[in-house]
Amino acid sequence: MKLINKITMWFLGVILLVTPVTMFISRNNIKKHLDQAEISRMTGVNDHVYKQLLAGGKPDHYTHGRPIEVSLYQGAMPQQKVQVRKENLAEDDMVKKECRITVDSYYPIGDQIYKISSYNFVLNSQDIFDGMLYTVVWKMLIMVLGVGLTARFLSRIILEPFYRAMKAIKEFDLKRGDSKLKLPHTTTKEFQELNAFLRKMTDKAAADYASVKEFSENASHELQTPLAIVRSKLDLLSQTQIDDRQATLIGDMQSAIERLSHINRSLVLLTKLENQEYKTAESIKFCKVTRNVMDTYEDWIKMKEIRLHSNLDKNVTLQIHPVLAEILIGNLLSNAIRYNDEGGQIRIDLTRQWLRISNTGHPPDLPTADMFSRFKKGNQCNESTGLGLAIVKQICDVNDFSVTYQFEKGWHQVKVQFRQAELPTVEGSGDMSREGQLAVS
Amino acid sequence: MKVLIVEDNRELSSGIADYLTGEKYICEPAYDFETASEKLALFTYDCILVDIMLPDGNGLELLKQIRRDDIRSGILIISAKDALDDKVKGLDEGADDYVIKPFHMSELHARLRAIYRRKKLEGPSNLVSFNEIELNTDTVEAKVNQQLLDVTRKEFDLLLYFIVNKNRVLSKQAIAAHLWGDYTDNLSNFDFVYQHVKNLRKKISTAEGTDYIETVYGLGYKFNTSKQ
Repeated sequence: MKLINKITMWFLGVILLVTPVTMFISRNNIKKHLDQAEISRMTGVNDHVYKQLLAGGKPDHYTHGRPIEVSLYQGAMPQQKVQVRKENLAEDDMVKKECRITVDSYYPIGDQIYKISSYNFVLNSQDIFDGMLYTVVWKMLIMVLGVGLTARFLSRIILEPFYRAMKAIKEFDLKRGDSKLKLPHTTTKEFQELNAFLRKMTDKAAADYASVKEFSENASHELQTPLAIVRSKLDLLSQTQIDDRQATLIGDMQSAIERLSHINRSLVLLTKLENQEYKTAESIKFCKVTRNVMDTYEDWIKMKEIRLHSNLDKNVTLQIHPVLAEILIGNLLSNAIRYNDEGGQIRIDLTRQWLRISNTGHPPDLPTADMFSRFKKGNQCNESTGLGLAIVKQICDVNDFSVTYQFEKGWHQVKVQFRQAELPTVEGSGDMSREGQLAVS
Repeated sequence: MKVLIVEDNRELSSGIADYLTGEKYICEPAYDFETASEKLALFTYDCILVDIMLPDGNGLELLKQIRRDDIRSGILIISAKDALDDKVKGLDEGADDYVIKPFHMSELHARLRAIYRRKKLEGPSNLVSFNEIELNTDTVEAKVNQQLLDVTRKEFDLLLYFIVNKNRVLSKQAIAAHLWGDYTDNLSNFDFVYQHVKNLRKKISTAEGTDYIETVYGLGYKFNTSKQ
């Protein structure tokens, strides 16, 4: 549930709860004040009549528009000079809604006590309540509507810094160069705190990321030079007069150095891929790259007497760094050759949506889920660093491709699904021409 | 050939110098940007090896100076940085080629030689010959005793690599890296190297050329010029 909806619900709940209570209170107050006003007025009238009587005048029965009754009171002077009586006269429909208030005032004149009574009708509290109910229902309706409507509007104003902060976090990417979080200015204290916290957190993350990145870059860079030295010295050593035993030792060292430098280079590549350093806006002909890579590996394929079937669509254009495309296909194809049987088969299919390289060979030794992890190798052979498929995976991740592996009926299949928006294609190309040929034949 | 080696690491610098001196090159080291800049202003070199990362400056700046002063030396970048932009940047700045650390000495030499050839600094630029063997780098044709040899592109590259690095032991790794490049996760396909060398030797022998290429036990191969 959206925050603003929750707030609205609360608000409406409070309104629903408070309104009846206030209604009850105001009804009572109004009634009390109405009665009080009437009583004090009638007391005043009674006093006035009394003064008239004292003056010797004859009081009119309807002085001040009210029926007044003057009578002689038998008995002792009551404790309260003014007495009020309220009566509900139920018999008459007209007066049903009203209540009669009678005010009796007692005045001692000489030895005698006079009682002056006046009465009037006031609205019954039930009636006031009915009248109020109508108003309150309207009031509540208007409030609900008002709250409902203004809430959206208000949320847009008050919660705006919050939404903008959320958007900023969503778009925040550590791997981008300008990894500074841009947060909106706000006068709301909570949002200020939130922003300060977010800023602190992202700055910390960016700093950590930068230092890790720097470390891995420096480490691999610093390794390159010693490796180059060892390799060059080994090269020089192998040029000198050495016997077979020494030659074997040097040879072993050379292979180890070779391996080390390969691993190092692959790790550097992986780091750079993670840093998104090979973002490119240029499109390349993926089919052409595939063909080139196939040519490069042609000799090796021949040597292992592997039969290669390829079915490449023309004009497959993709937005990918050319070198990455080469590495991607190269790694997949070299795996397909390496883990193939002598005299096996390889199939390469390329469409605009996917590339699939399948090869025959032994069933996989390790769980296929681990296939794309670093340093996982089918067999611990020395021909591979175990980083090939990890690099493939990383290249796919960087370019929004997905890569899957499956083993089916003796065939290893690696499928790369291109998820990019399709680029406009050259007219009369690719599928079209192939379908055309089919139709003709 | 006179070569300036701009490399801050003394061991590596001396290693390169050792190897190139063996090829009868005259090598001068420069361990920092300042010295390199000075030497370039004072002397002329046929080729310059430039490390991109120098303690007191960027090698790319040196390339700018070379271009500004119109120095017509061949330039080979040595880079530990694998970033592809760096290479491209270097090539834009007028470098002729690059090698990435750690490189094989024979590879460095072959590249240097190729630059030298391209810059037309020695003889007919596209011809490399040794005794009865003649290679045309433009047409990718190999001749033995004036007879055209039917070689594949890889075999041609291999033969050229051998002749450029004659009398040197070439490790299988170096040959594999030269023929394949080293971007793929494809560690030294030694059988493959063996196959190529074998085919090449067979083809040269068929053309009645001397089989100069010999196997060096445990290490690799060598183009032995003293072979009769």
